[in-house]
Amino acid sequence: MKEGKSVKFNIQQQHQNGHLSPSIFAKLLDPEASWDKDQLGDVLHWIRQVVALVCGLLWGSIPVVGGIWFILFLAISSGIIYGYYAIILKIDEEDFGGHGALLQEGLFASITLFLLAWILVYSLAHF
Amino acid sequence: MASLPLFANFKYSDSLTVVGISICTAIVCEAISWILIYRTNSYKTLRSSIDKAAKKLETMKTDSNKIINKKSKTKKIDRVETSLKESSRDLSLFKFKSGAVVALVLFVVFGLLNSLFDGKVVAKLPFKPFGLVTKMSHRGLQGTDPTDCSMAFLYFLCSISIRTNLQKFLGFAPPRGAAGGGLFPLPDPKTS
Repeated sequence: MKEGKSVKFNIQQQHQNGHLSPSIFAKLLDPEASWDKDQLGDVLHWIRQVVALVCGLLWGSIPVVGGIWFILFLAISSGIIYGYYAIILKIDEEDFGGHGALLQEGLFASITLFLLAWILVYSLAHF
Repeated sequence: MASLPLFANFKYSDSLTVVGISICTAIVCEAISWILIYRTNSYKTLRSSIDKAAKKLETMKTDSNKIINKKSKTKKIDRVETSLKESSRDLSLFKFKSGAVVALVLFVVFGLLNSLFDGKVVAKLPFKPFGLVTKMSHRGLQGTDPTDCSMAFLYFLCSISIRTNLQKFLGFAPPRGAAGGGLFPLPDPKTS
């Protein structure tokens, strides 16, 4: 039976989307920490954006061409997110809406950010 | 619009102009949204009620298996869900009224960019697009090279990525408990 993480909803905690308090950084790699649904969603969102930016800049610099590299980005990005919440944080996804809900956090924005970075670097550096 | 001398050697320096204008537009749109929407008490109240209702709903659903009298619990869950839906609808309506100004700004900016870069290749795609993507990426361009990128596609990418992350960073993203979102959540449409 998979070890689950209980969800503690801190209703008293004032939380705004995108505003990461210092306490969040302290528990980014702590598998014993308890996560608020919004906090975890925000962290996964920003991880996706960083991965998208790094991949876009890297692949535009090399450069790599072809749609396969877009598929590869999706696989790498999703793999990192899954590995982070399932292996490092040991989150029970059922408490947070399932794998789908966690994997789709920031997905579309990361795709557009990746494409933007990839296209810009490719266009500016190699022509 | 002439590119800055610093970027004169780049063949596709127009792409930087498009990105720069997109960034400025995103900042202006969020500033307008803050003035018309986010700083108002109505928005703060609605947002707070949605967040509380969503959290309460999650707690009730998590504990529902432990409750013997499931019928009364289901009724309570239904009441909270109805309240959440009503608050979400009210929030959407509230934002819709004020979003018209932002929509006008975006319309004007797109028209400006269109007049500046219509028919120009602003970037090169590192992949061959297909279907609807090609229609957008090759919009208004001459020739048959599918890797030529028009302003429309680049502006689309800029808009989604920059504005979504800006809204997220500033805390203006729609609450998760509100209806909508789905697999591909776009920037808050009521402010666009």
